[in-house]
Amino acid sequence: MSAPLAVLGVRHHGPGSARSVVRALEELQPDVVLVELAADCQPALQWIGDPELRPPIALLGYVVDTPQRARFSPFAEFSPEWQAFTWARRHSVEMRAIDLPLSNTLASGGATGGGVAADELLLAEHPPIDPIAVLARAGGDFDPERWWEDVIEHRGDGLEAFAAVGEAMTAVRGTAEAADLRELRREAHMRQCVRRAQADGFSRIVVVCGAWHVPALAGVYPPASVDAQVLRGLAKVTVGVSWVPWTHRRLASSSGYGAGVDSPGWYAHVFAHPGPDGVTRWFVDAARLLRSRDMAASPDHLIAGIRAAEALAALRGRPRPGLAEVLDAADAVMAGEAGLTLIRDQLVIGDVIGKVPDAAPQVPLARDVALQQRKARLKPEAGTRLVELDLRAPAGRARSVLLHRLTALGVSWGSLEEGRGSSGTFRETWRVRWDPELSIRLIELAGHGTTLQQATISLLTERLEHADVLADLVAVLDAALLCELPEVVSPCVRRLGSQAAHAPDVAQLIDTMGPLSRSLRYGDVRGTDATSLRDVFDGLVVRVIAGVPTACRSLDDEASAAMVERLAAVQAALAMCDHPARHDQWPVVLTVLSERADVHGRVQGRAARLAHDIGSWAPARVQQRLARALSIGTPPATGASFVEGFLAGSGTVLVHDSELLDVVDEWVSSLSHESFSATSPLLRRTFGAFDIAERRQLGLLVSDQATAPTMFGQGVDDRRAALALATVRDLLGVAR
Amino acid sequence: MNALRPHAEDEFAHELSTLAAIDDRPRPPRWQLSPWAVLTYLMGGTVRGPEGDDVVIVPKYVGQRRLIEIAISTLATDRALLLLGVPGTAKTWVSEHLAAAISGNSTLLVQGTAGTTEESLRYGWNYARLLSEGPTEAALVPSPVYRAMQSGAIVRVEELTRMPGDVQDALVTILSEKTLPVPELAGLQHRGEVQAVAGFNLIATANDRDRGVNDLSAALRRRFNTVVLPLPTDADEEVAIVQRRVTELGAALSLPPVPAAADEIRRVVTIFRELRSGVSEDGRVALKVPTGSLSTAEAISVVTNGMSLAVHFGSGTMTAADIAAGIIGAVVKDPVHDQLAWREYLEAVVRERAHWGDFYDACRALG
Repeated sequence: MSAPLAVLGVRHHGPGSARSVVRALEELQPDVVLVELAADCQPALQWIGDPELRPPIALLGYVVDTPQRARFSPFAEFSPEWQAFTWARRHSVEMRAIDLPLSNTLASGGATGGGVAADELLLAEHPPIDPIAVLARAGGDFDPERWWEDVIEHRGDGLEAFAAVGEAMTAVRGTAEAADLRELRREAHMRQCVRRAQADGFSRIVVVCGAWHVPALAGVYPPASVDAQVLRGLAKVTVGVSWVPWTHRRLASSSGYGAGVDSPGWYAHVFAHPGPDGVTRWFVDAARLLRSRDMAASPDHLIAGIRAAEALAALRGRPRPGLAEVLDAADAVMAGEAGLTLIRDQLVIGDVIGKVPDAAPQVPLARDVALQQRKARLKPEAGTRLVELDLRAPAGRARSVLLHRLTALGVSWGSLEEGRGSSGTFRETWRVRWDPELSIRLIELAGHGTTLQQATISLLTERLEHADVLADLVAVLDAALLCELPEVVSPCVRRLGSQAAHAPDVAQLIDTMGPLSRSLRYGDVRGTDATSLRDVFDGLVVRVIAGVPTACRSLDDEASAAMVERLAAVQAALAMCDHPARHDQWPVVLTVLSERADVHGRVQGRAARLAHDIGSWAPARVQQRLARALSIGTPPATGASFVEGFLAGSGTVLVHDSELLDVVDEWVSSLSHESFSATSPLLRRTFGAFDIAERRQLGLLVSDQATAPTMFGQGVDDRRAALALATVRDLLGVAR
Repeated sequence: MNALRPHAEDEFAHELSTLAAIDDRPRPPRWQLSPWAVLTYLMGGTVRGPEGDDVVIVPKYVGQRRLIEIAISTLATDRALLLLGVPGTAKTWVSEHLAAAISGNSTLLVQGTAGTTEESLRYGWNYARLLSEGPTEAALVPSPVYRAMQSGAIVRVEELTRMPGDVQDALVTILSEKTLPVPELAGLQHRGEVQAVAGFNLIATANDRDRGVNDLSAALRRRFNTVVLPLPTDADEEVAIVQRRVTELGAALSLPPVPAAADEIRRVVTIFRELRSGVSEDGRVALKVPTGSLSTAEAISVVTNGMSLAVHFGSGTMTAADIAAGIIGAVVKDPVHDQLAWREYLEAVVRERAHWGDFYDACRALG
C-alpha cells in the first residue's frame, strides 16, 4: 500500500464517536477524508459549510422515474460523518463519498419499494449481526447502547479508541458467517475508492465508516481485480439527490424509524457539553423547562438531582451518569409523572428542526409547491394570519385551490376558518401558518408525484380506492371539487353512481344528497364541469323518492327523530338545485307519508309540514290533517308526536309564519268544548317545550294584542329607517 | 428467642453477615454494607461466601431493580427517602430491609397516626426526673429520630401522611439542618441541640390514595426524594410475591405445608387483578371496581387464612371453599356497591370460566 491509511470505525449518530473523529482528524491532518456515504451523494457535499445548511438534515436519494423508491440518510450535529464533513470543509480538505452508489442500490430488488416514507436508513444499514451487541455481551452487558456509551462514547480517547474498536470488530467478524452479497459489494466499492484515492496521490487518507466495516477497509486488501469482478454488471437507475430538513423527533427510533437513536436530544446535549459539567447543565435545562410549565424546580432540587445521579452511577458501576441515571434522579427528586413525560419529550428527544438553503437541490414536489406559493403570492410564514379569499376573482381562486390541495395532502398550512368547508360559498377565510414540519410532510409525499397537482391526484385517487362507504366517497368528491381536479371528479362520480345503486340504506343516500347538491349549485363558481354530477344527483333523487316510503315504516322513537331531519334535508337539497322532482314526485311522497298509518306520528307530522312549506297542500287540507291527528280516534301518543313533528319543536316559526299560525289557530278555535279539553294535554306536550318568551309572544298574537312582526306599523320615519338599513346591510355584508 | 415476627436483621442475619464479610467496596460513613451489597441484599442473588461456599440471598423485593437503585443512592446522599404507593406495594417491607441492611437495625421506627404528637418525632420528658432534677439529659426521653441522629443510623417513619400536618412539619428542620434543637438544655454544658452524626437518614412511607390522609407540605416534600412503588405489573410476578410471603408466614405460624396451594394462589391473584383493573383477563368483560384496595397484601392474607382453614377445619388441602369466604370478605367492603360488583363478577366471569365450577359453587353456597 502506498499511502498511510487510517480507518475510523464509528457508531452512527454516536456523540462520543463524533468527538473522537474530530480529535483523530486534528491529530492525523489528512489530505483527503473518505466517508461511508453513497458515492452519488458527492455533488450534494458542496453545500456543506453553507451557514444555511444546519443539521438535523438528511440526504434524500430517489429514483427519478419512481420517486417513491427513495432512501434517507439523516445527519445530526452529533453524527460522526457530519463532523468529518465539517472538519474537512473547515480545513479545505477534499472529502469523498465512497459507499456503493444509490443508482445501484436502488436499482436492485433489495431497495425499499412503495410506501410513502421509505424507512430504510442508508447510513446504518444493518450488518448481518449486531456487532455492538456481540461485544457488549462479551463484556457482560446486555444493553449494547449502554455498553458502547460506557466503553467508547464516554471516553473520547482519540486514536487508541479507534484501534481498539477495529480489533474488537475483527474478532466479531471472525465469528460471524459470511456477509451477504450486498455487504460484499458495498465494501468492494469502498475499497475501490480507497485505491483510487491512493492512485490520485493523496498522502494521508482517513476513512470514516461504521465500526462493522473497519476490518474490511483497514486489513489486507484482495487484488483490485476481485473487487472489480464483484462490482461488474450491476443494474443502474437514474437517481436524484437532495438535502431535506430533518428533526430530532424523526431521528428518534420511537418515530418508527428503523436505525434511529433513542435519545437525540440527550446525544446533542452530550455532544455540546462533553465535560463534567454536562450533567449539571442538563439539570439546569430540565429545571428551566419544568419552571416554564409552572412546576417546582428550585436550585436545591438541582443539587439533590445531580448528587442522586452521581450516586446512582456509582452504584451501577458506570463511569459517569448517563441518560438512565439523570432521568431516574430527576424522577425521584423533582419531576414526578407529568414532569418526566415533559422532560422525555423536550430534552431527551427534543424539537430541533434543521434547515436547508433555498438554493440547494430540493425534492421536486417541494420545489413545485414553492413555485405555486410564489405564483399565488402567498408566502409561507411562521406566524398565524387570516387570509380572505374572493373566489370570483382568479387570484382568489388560485390561492384557494393551492390551500385546498395542500389540505388534501395533509399539509395543513391553512385551516378553513368559516364556511362549511364545502364549495357552498364564493368567500373563504383561511387561517394560515407554515410549520417546518410541513416541509417534511411534503418530502414524505415526494413519492406521490413531482408536482402539487400530480401528488394531490395520486393521493385522492388512493383515498377513492379505499372508500367503501358513501360518506367517504362524498368527502373525496368534495375535496376533488375544491381542488379543481376533474381527473378525480369523474371517477369519483362514477363510483358514487354505482355505489348508490347498491347502497341498501336510504339514510346513506340522503346524507350524500346534501354535499352533492351544494356542489351542483355552486360548482360553477369554480368552473367545474357539472353534467356528470347532475346525472348522479338525478339518479340519487329517483332512488331516494322510491325508497323513502319504505324506510319510514315501523320506526321507533329514536329512528323517527333522525328520519324527520333527513326528510328536511332532502327537501333542502332539492330546493338547493331547484330540482324538478321538488314539485313533481316529492309532494306525492310527502302525502303518502303523512297519510299512512304505519308511519311514526312524528314523521307524519313533519311530512304534512313539509308539504305545507312547499305550498303543495292548501291551508284547509293542513288544518284537516292536524285535526284528524288530534281527534279521538288517533291514539294520544301518535297525536302528540304528530304535533311535535309538525312544529319541529320550535315556536319561532309559528311566531313568524302567520299563515302557519292561522292554520293552527283556526283549527284550535274550531274545536268543540269537549274536544278541546281532550286535546289540550297533547298540545301542552309540544307547546310546553317552547321557550317562555315564544309562548308569551304566541299568546299575544293569538289574542290580537300584538301584531305580527312582519308589519312595520304606521308612521315609519324614512330617514331613521335608512340609517338602520345601512347598518343591517353592513352586518349582512350586502352591497349598497 | 421465638418472636412471632423477627426483625429483618435477625431473620436474615446470616445473609447480612455473609455480605459484610465479602463486601470490599467503599461504604458511606457508618453504613454496615456498601450500596452494592445493600442492593444485592434487597434484590437477591447468589454470592460466594467467605469460606468459598455459595450463599443464596433471598430476594426481598420483587420488581424493578432501578427503583431500589434510586432508593439506595438517595440514602447515600443526604436526602431523605419517601416511598409512595397504594397499600400492599411493599413500602414498609422495603424500608425495613433497607434500614436493616444499611444500619443493621430496623427498630428505630415512628408509626404515623392521627394521634402522633411532635414528642414522638423530637423528644419527651420523664416527668418524675424532670420535677426532681430539672431539665437534664437524663430526664429527656429521646424519640427514635433523636436516637438515630445521635448514632448515625437510619430511622423509619411509617405512614407519614397519617400524621397531622403540623406534626409532619417538625421534620423540616431535622431534614434540612440535620439538627434537632433542644432549647430546654441550652446552657453552659450543653449547646441546646443535637447534631446528626454522618450516616443518619430517614425513610418515610406514605400512601397517597387512602382516605383520611394529610398531604405533605411543599416545604417538607422538597426535602425528600420520592420513589413510587407500583403494583406488580403482571400476574406471574404477583403470584410469586404471594407465594413466597405465604410460605414465610406459614412457617412463622407453624402451619404444616399445604399442597396444591399454587392453583388457588393464582386464582386469588387473578380475581384481585381483574376486579382492581375493572376488566377481565381476556379483556372481554368490563367489571365494576369494588371500593376496597384489593392489594397484594390482602391477597396474601386471604391465602394465609385459607391455609389455616384447610389445616384446622378442612381436609388439609386448600380447596376453593377455603378461600371463598376470605375473598368475599376482602372484596365486599361496601354492602351495596361491592355486593353488586361481586355478584356481577361471579355471574359474568367466574361462572363462564372453565374449571372454576368448584369456586363458583363455593361462593354461591356462601350466599
